[in-house]
This record gives sequence, C-alpha cells and structure tokens, in this order.
Amino acid sequence: MLTILFYTNLLKKVIPSSTSSLKLIYFINLIPFCLLVYAFSISDFTLLNVVENSYVDDPIFYKVTSAWGSHEGSILLWVFLINSFGVFFLYKNQTVEIHKNILFISTLFIVYVIVSSNPFTYVEANKNVLGLGLNPILQHFLFVIHPPTLFLGYIGLIIPFVISAHMLVSKNFSEKLFKEMLIWSKISWFFLTGGIVLGSYWAYSELGWGGWWFWDPVENISLIPWLLNTALIHSLQVSIKSNQLKLWSLNLGLYCFIASVFGTFLVRSNLIVSVHSFATDPLRGLFLIIIIAYLLAMTVRLNIKSISNFNEDSFNLLSRESFLLLNNIFFICSALVVFIGTVYPLFSEMILKTSVSVGAPYYNFAFNLLLAPLILFMAFAPQINWGKHEKKDEQIPFIIIFSLLVCLVSYYFSNNFYFALSVFITVPLFLKSILVLKNNFNKNISFYSQWLAHLSIGFFIIAAVYTEQFDYEENLLFEKGSTNEIKLQNNKTAIIKNIKDEKFQNYQRILVDLLISDGQKEKELSPSKNIYQPSGQVTNEVSTTNNLLSQYYATISTIESNKVGINLVYKPLINLLWLSAIMLVFSILLSVVKKR
Amino acid sequence: MKISKSIYKLIIPILVIHISTISFAGVNELNDYYKTIRCLVCEGQSIQESDTEFAINLKEQIQKKYSSGISIEEIDQELIKIYGEEISFNPPKNHILLWGMPLIVLIIIFIFIRNKIRFFRRV
Amino acid sequence: MKRHLLLPIVGLIVLIVSVIFYFNQSTYKNNSRDEVSSLIFETPDFYNNKLINENTLGEFYIINFFASWCKPCLAEHPLLMEMKKKGVKIIGINFRDDEENFKEWINEHGNPFEYILRDDGSIAYEMGLIGVPETFFILNKMTQKKIQGPLFYEDIEKYL
Repeated sequence: MLTILFYTNLLKKVIPSSTSSLKLIYFINLIPFCLLVYAFSISDFTLLNVVENSYVDDPIFYKVTSAWGSHEGSILLWVFLINSFGVFFLYKNQTVEIHKNILFISTLFIVYVIVSSNPFTYVEANKNVLGLGLNPILQHFLFVIHPPTLFLGYIGLIIPFVISAHMLVSKNFSEKLFKEMLIWSKISWFFLTGGIVLGSYWAYSELGWGGWWFWDPVENISLIPWLLNTALIHSLQVSIKSNQLKLWSLNLGLYCFIASVFGTFLVRSNLIVSVHSFATDPLRGLFLIIIIAYLLAMTVRLNIKSISNFNEDSFNLLSRESFLLLNNIFFICSALVVFIGTVYPLFSEMILKTSVSVGAPYYNFAFNLLLAPLILFMAFAPQINWGKHEKKDEQIPFIIIFSLLVCLVSYYFSNNFYFALSVFITVPLFLKSILVLKNNFNKNISFYSQWLAHLSIGFFIIAAVYTEQFDYEENLLFEKGSTNEIKLQNNKTAIIKNIKDEKFQNYQRILVDLLISDGQKEKELSPSKNIYQPSGQVTNEVSTTNNLLSQYYATISTIESNKVGINLVYKPLINLLWLSAIMLVFSILLSVVKKR
Repeated sequence: MKISKSIYKLIIPILVIHISTISFAGVNELNDYYKTIRCLVCEGQSIQESDTEFAINLKEQIQKKYSSGISIEEIDQELIKIYGEEISFNPPKNHILLWGMPLIVLIIIFIFIRNKIRFFRRV
Repeated sequence: MKRHLLLPIVGLIVLIVSVIFYFNQSTYKNNSRDEVSSLIFETPDFYNNKLINENTLGEFYIINFFASWCKPCLAEHPLLMEMKKKGVKIIGINFRDDEENFKEWINEHGNPFEYILRDDGSIAYEMGLIGVPETFFILNKMTQKKIQGPLFYEDIEKYL
C-alpha cells in the first residue's frame, strides 16, 4: 500500500510548477517516515523491520529511536530530512528549478528505498514475537540525537548543492543566491559539527575504549564533508565580499554534498569494516553507486563547463582573498588525505592484494603537515584587508618570538615535543585575539562568531594534544579478601567499596563502586557492566569523575567471582576539549542568528 | 615588501618543525606503540584499547620482548612478518601513493590555482 | 602563456607516481610466516616432560591451539578425537590457561593429542595466532593450511 503511495507521488513529480504543489509533494514524502516511527512506537510486529530492531520491553524512548537504528530506517530518515529541508527552503526561495533538483534527488533515494531497502516488509503477525531488540550499544541518549544531527548536517549540504548547480546551469551569479548558500552551508556546518562532536562524545563515554577519536572509517567519512564545508564557508566569504572565486565556491559546493552521499555509500555497502557496520547486501551498494555516479557525472559536467572561466579572477598575494584561498587549499587537501586514507585499504586489497590498515599514525602525520601552518595563519589572516593589504603589521615578529619563547618554556617543563609544537602554533592566535579584541571592541556579531570559532579551534588543539600526550593508564586488579586498596602512580589510592548486582527493565547491571582518594578529597567512580536482554550482549559502562578540566575514566576490564580488574585512565584537560568543541558548534550559530 | 619577508620568516620555522616532527618519539613509548597495533579480532580497535585475549597476549609478548632489550622497530618488523601489514595502523613507507599523497595533492592544487594570485602570475 | 604547461606537469607527476608505484609492487607481499615456530620443539610435553621427537612425528601433522575457557574448542573436539583414531598426529597447544582447569578439561572430554604443550602465549605469538581455536596443517615444517575458528567436518575430510 505504501509502495503505491510512493508511486503516486512519483507520478506527481512530473508536473510540479506552483509553490503549493511543491509543498504538497514535500509533505507526501514526509509521511512514510512518520508512519515508520509510529509503527515502532506501538511495536507493530507485523513489520519485519520492527521485529528485527525493537523489543517489547524497551522504554518508549528507545522504541522510537530504533526507527533509525536499522539501515532501512536510516535511509528513510534521509528521505524525510531531504524533504523537510526542502520545505524550509521553500519559505526562503521559490525558484522552481532549484526545488525540482531537490525533489529529483529525493526521488532517487525513494526509489532506492523501494528497490533495495524497504522497511515496510510484512511478516505474519505472531503473538510470541517479542522483537530482537536494538543493539544495546546504541541504547544511549546521545545515540538518539547523534545520527539525526549528523544526517541533518549531511543533508543540509543539499541546499548549497542545488543552488550551485542552478547557478552554474543558468549562469546567474546573483549575490542573493550566494548569501543564501552561505547561510545554508552554515546551518549544515552547525549540525555537522554538532553531529561529529556528539558522535565522538558517544564513542568516548559509551564504547569505553578510552579515546575520543579513532580515525574509524565512519568518523573519517563525516570529517570529509566537514572539512569541505569549512572550506566552502570561507570561500563563499570571498565570493560575497569581493566578487571573486565564484566558480571555485560553486564547484566546492557541489563536492560537499557528493562527499556526504559517498560517505553514506561507503558505510552502507560494508566495503570498509567499522564499528558502525550494517548488514551487507550487494544490491544496496550497487544502487548507491549508481546514485553517486549520476551525481558525480552531473558535477563533472558542470565543472568542465565552468573551467574555461576558472582563472578569471586574480588578487594580490597579501590580501584576505589569497589567505582564504590558502585556507581552502589546506582544507581540501586534508579532506583528500582523509579520503585517501579511508579508501586506501580497499584499493590495496583489490589491486595490490595485500591488506593494510591505515590509522592514527598516518593521519597524524598528514594533519601535522597540513594543519599546523593553517592554524598559524589563522592568527594573522583575519586582520588582513580585502583587496590589497597596505598596512604593515609590526606585531607579527614580536608575536612569533613570544610564542617561540612560550614554546621553549613549555618544552622545558613538559619535555614533550608535540605539546610544545601545539603551543607554538596556538599562542599567536590567543595573543592576537586579545590584542584585536582590545582594539576593536564594537565590531559586529559575525566578527565575534568568527573570532570565537577560531579561538575554540585553538583551545581544541591545545586540549587534544595535551590529553593525548599526558594521559596515563593503569590496570588495577583487586582480589577478593587480599586487596581492596591500590596505590596509583600519582600517589593517590584507589579503594574498592562494594560490588552491586541490579536488575532493570531490559538489562542486568553489575556495578563496582570505586573511590580515589588523596588523603583529604575523595572521588567516586562506579563503572559497570550491563547484560542486555534478549541478546545477552554485554556492554561496558564507563564511569568518569571530574577534577576541574581533567577526568578519571574507569571501565571494568574483567570481573570474576574472586577478582575485579579495573582499567583506570587519567585524562588531563579532556573537559577543555569538549568545552571548546561546544564553543565551536555554537560560534557558527551567532552569525546565522544575526542574518535571520 | 617587509611583510612578505616576515611571512618567509614564518614559513622557515614551520618547515624546520615539520622535519623534526618526523623523527621524534613520544614519552610513553610502549603505550604509544600499542596504539599503532591493530587488534585483528576487533573492529577497528588498537590493542591498547582492547581487552580481548588476542590483544592481551600481544601486549604481554611485546612487553616481554621490549624489556629484554629488543627495540620497538625490531618488534614492529617481526610483528609485520608474522601477522602481515594489516597488523599495523602505520602502513609501511613504501606505500608511496599513500604517504606521498598530501604533498602531491598540494602541488597539483597549487599548479591549478597559481594563476589566481598575481604574485605567481607571469604574463 | 604557461597555461598549456599545466596538463603536462600533472601528467608527469601521475606518470612518476605510477612508475614508482609499479617498481614498488614487488615488495607488497603478504609474508605471513609459514614456518613452524622452533619453540614447539623446545617446549617440553606437559605429561611426560620430554621434548617432541621429530622422527616419530613424521612429515605431516596438525597443530591445534585450544583452551579450557574456549567454547568453540569443545565443538571441534569430537573431530579431533576422530582424527586421532585415524592415526593423524596432533600437537595440542594449551593457550593461556589455568593448569587445574586444563587438566580437568582433558580428563572430562578425552585427549586427542599426541603431545600437549602449555603455552603462556609465546608460541601463539610466533605462529601468528589470532584466537583459539586455531588449527595449522603442517607438511615438512611448513604451514599448508590454517583454519581460524572451530574446525568443521569438511575441513578435515581428506585427512580421515
């Protein structure tokens, strides 16, 4: 029945012309996902998808979440979001050509849903079926908001995509459209950054591996559109303010969306192994490949069309434009590096017949190379004038010398090279922002937004390098009867209080109460292991306790009748990292709100 | 063109730092090394993060070799010999396509855009 | 004026890369070690405390890693017993196990092994073990086949 619904709206798609009919189509496309959510919320076990991904005794909150826990559901969510973006965009811009493109892409995905991953497959109703349950790792509040946020970010990029496609085809480079493109790419950036941060925080607090970024293929794939989108936001400034780099940003706008679709394809087709893997089905991969190939072909065609005018614009070496272009180069390069690193194992396995793993060492190398100069420039570039920079900045040598001094001092105390390097590249930024803030106090809001974003990047880098370099880990083994106190490296003692065994609605929990004390102050930790019904899967629950900006991070490694193993990690400055990430997410909101 | 000179001043330290980054080793050598070894039975985890029997055994064996005076590089080579390149998150440097890529991409893009900046444009 | 140089330069880079790439290809090889670790012949047998006699062992034998805490090991156990009956020589390597549990396990389920070595993990490391159970089919001290995970009837059919 629902399939018929799809087909009818497919037919209608041939004749859209007025705004109201566009609106109608958007709303029809919203229906299937709402129905799926409803089916999940009432645990309608006549749907195979519900049986596979939901469990009767789950709390209602998680029942609804399960709707996008599966592959089918998440693709439907994708369609839902494309159309909701379409609706919102309709209020801003009524150009029918642009909306036709949005609807066309959404139709591609609807066809994909129907052909290879229909969530509305019926099964015989059976009273004994209780459902197989949502993967317990996913039963977490963050997981409820993480995928939709990330999806919002991915799909938000559709608007810059269609706008730039429209502009390239119609050759109508109006400033109004560029401004709209900027706003939408900022909105998408907000969700994308938010989604990445949430996902990272989820991995940190839920997976219990003790890290916050693993260079896992799925993380990488969300990073590629993010890097490209960041580049896009910067280059659009040039397009709007100084009327240059127009074709550059339009082509970039096309690739942002391609990157996000490609990311989804890589995850869904299971070509690469990752924590987020879904079940394999060759048809799915094939179909997504067709969609991507199609979008890519269109993009390349538009690229070729525009390439003859590509080198039209020019500017001075020392101008805001050239620095923003430089920024673009670095961001695009990092995106490409992440892309290559992610795809290389696949390539190597297929062509060289050896399997390699590309992990942190490679990305650290490449990002050191690409981002260190970028961040140094970040301190000075925003003060450079548009057009041609005439003013001499006498502060630069002093700032460099000062940051070198700070760097040497920090190297002397910490004896850690990476930390000293990160100090060297971020100190100019902090110094410069203090100086600039003192001089121009009453600038507009977009200045503050930009400044805040850059500053939080600086904090983020300091915090990230610091936690990675100075964390330490201890494996504590408590044996029953003999030891319940262990001395830690930093002269504190870990004391085990008691072990609890509790039963909950859909899981059983074994909880260990742990105390860390330095004589006067005591910190409590209570890591646990949860055993979920009906799958019997065991998850490690992390427990953390804050010490200003630092954190103790504890997980249970082993638990047997006579001994308990606790994995305790001390993570300095980790909270600064999350704080700066939150700052980063909301800095963009400042500039969007102002424009509204 | 004083400012452009100061930019060169800026670039030189960066280059120096880059060159030295490559040869530096971390403080906690062994723990850092664990992070580069893939746990083959897990999904994308390193043995440092994993609690599987495989990871625990590997950590013990590496620890044993390390304390008997074998250097990290030798251990790494032996591991790759036993388990294949897949074991290491740090692919061998002879994957030129992989390691040279940041540089190649930078060069290509630079060639692509050099006409945009008047400084590099020679008419 | 220099515009027309763009394509050749890019082409040249691609060419250089692919040439380097081509000549490097010979070094890309999955060189997992396939020789039997010498530790196996240096570790004494658990029951009679003697080293393995290579002459009586013959050219073809099987090395099986197992542990009492491992459930799939129990699943493949009958197949190993079957092979023993047919005269296939199996070296059992007890991987990171508690001595009491291990003895109990052997007593309870039977001993399909010609020799049993107890391993703290070093042999496993040298053999490139991923997990228990894992079975190596050895001919002339070289691994012919390696099965990760429990054995199935099809795997050992031709040795019966």
